[in-house]
Amino acid sequence: MIDTIAAEWLKLRSVRSTYILAGVVVACAGAALLLAWYAARIWDGSTPEQRTHFALSDVAELVGWVAQLCMALLGVLAVTGEYGSGMIRTTLAVVPRRATVLAAKASVVGTAAFLVGVAIPLLTYALSRLVIGDRPIRGSSTPAPDEIRLLLAAGLLIAVFALIGLGLGVILRSTAGAIVTVVALWYLLPIVALNLPSPWNDRLTSVMLINLARELAGGHYETAAPQGLLSPAGALVTMLVYAALPLGAATLLIRRRDA
Amino acid sequence: MCPGRVSGTVVGVIEIQDLTKRYGRTVALDALSCAVRPGRVTGFLGPNGAGKSTTMRVLLGLDAPDAGVALVNGVRYASLRRPMCEVGALLDATAVQGARSALNHLRWLARTNRIGARRTIAVLEQVGLAGVARKRIHTFSLGMKQRLGIAAALLGDPPVVIFDEPVNGLDPDGVRWIRELMRSLAAEGRTVLLSSHLMTEMALTADRLIIIGRGRLIADTSVRELADRFPQGVLVRSPRVAELSGALRSAGAAVAEESGALSVRGLDVAAIGDLAAARGIPLHEVTPRSASLEDAYLQLTADTVEYGAAR
Repeated sequence: MIDTIAAEWLKLRSVRSTYILAGVVVACAGAALLLAWYAARIWDGSTPEQRTHFALSDVAELVGWVAQLCMALLGVLAVTGEYGSGMIRTTLAVVPRRATVLAAKASVVGTAAFLVGVAIPLLTYALSRLVIGDRPIRGSSTPAPDEIRLLLAAGLLIAVFALIGLGLGVILRSTAGAIVTVVALWYLLPIVALNLPSPWNDRLTSVMLINLARELAGGHYETAAPQGLLSPAGALVTMLVYAALPLGAATLLIRRRDA
Repeated sequence: MCPGRVSGTVVGVIEIQDLTKRYGRTVALDALSCAVRPGRVTGFLGPNGAGKSTTMRVLLGLDAPDAGVALVNGVRYASLRRPMCEVGALLDATAVQGARSALNHLRWLARTNRIGARRTIAVLEQVGLAGVARKRIHTFSLGMKQRLGIAAALLGDPPVVIFDEPVNGLDPDGVRWIRELMRSLAAEGRTVLLSSHLMTEMALTADRLIIIGRGRLIADTSVRELADRFPQGVLVRSPRVAELSGALRSAGAAVAEESGALSVRGLDVAAIGDLAAARGIPLHEVTPRSASLEDAYLQLTADTVEYGAAR
């Protein structure tokens, strides 16, 4: 198992797409910091009356939102790249225990996504505090312990996104198909849920992937009534189910299918 | 490079017993049985779609057979803990991710089977790719990819090697290099299974031939036996055809006329030349029919395509 994990780590490190996806997250962090800096300048030039209407969203969380998609793509490409090129046959020939291959890919992709998904938003948060300083801008003055708890929960969610991407990649064996499905889960489904008649909008919105980090951290999100929220434990279980379903199906399929 | 393997105990025999594989309605393998032994190059021949690649995929545990077993050294490939140290295989040289460098490709492969990193350099040198080790694979020509695939197959220094159409798309130098490599691997006592649909290539490389068609065994024979089953003829041209034909017949040869030339069986080139010289008959051409092995193969496989079975 250790050898297979090491091999998968080597694979992940030796393709350009990994660095491109991580680079997109970093670039997004840069853009978020620019936004914070711009907000600080507007704040300084505003009258006290204008300041009461002024708010800045959590820039670190914004970076995490983009990281969800990028790391889901990392998971997708970690396996569809092999199906597309045909290299999956070599992989499964040199490691005939297929569940081991999938478990190794899941550990590598999940860990990488968690590290990227925690480190870059955390860095964004730290730098944005420097940029904003002691300006009491609404929306960006969460106490540090709360913010760090939220960013750790968000990192876990980002790892779940990567595992979903990996599972879908194995199930669909197609980069395009897996990406479309990931984007649907990430973006389309929450919009659909929001527009359902009550109480289904609140019920479904509470189990949408993008809301799980805030629920796990014991916070709230803007689009749902407080009574519709999952408890932190409920959010954790939901996250694990989201990861386990595609990975479970992928394990069954990769073991049964001809390579 | 593969510590823990007890050398000398590995015989390297491939056994295929009653292997049947269907893809939907298509029967790719139909109760195929054959064995591949060490110390020689075994050519695995058949027309496109005969089931060569399917056999190799089943052998490597990639596709599950509907019936029968494929064994390497008496066990199923999928049960091997470090398969690269037992069997090296090249199925499709183009099935690699082009974004990776040749060295990194071999590194991850080596890592899966706990093969030392130094071995990756050694095999790259062996196949002549050491100079481009850090180049991305998508910059490689087909011939270079074939060499890389062979390097990967040799990483674990396996006693059994399996190559699917390794000479496809190679230039004459590359073809000759592969031919010599296969022969040297067999000379080291390894089991070498080499598939091709080109009889002419096999005639130069293989000692033993397994010929299949429509998923069934057509012939399991040595190259010499196959050649003997279909005797070679000699093409002879002369301005005095009738006179020469009579002389050859009286010397015991079977002669057939072919658009102004003679097709002679039963006498070799030297005997025909001597006979013509003794009678003072000028010869304009004396060509041994070296393609007869290919004819034999085409005849064998054409039969199965037409009638479905037959050995």
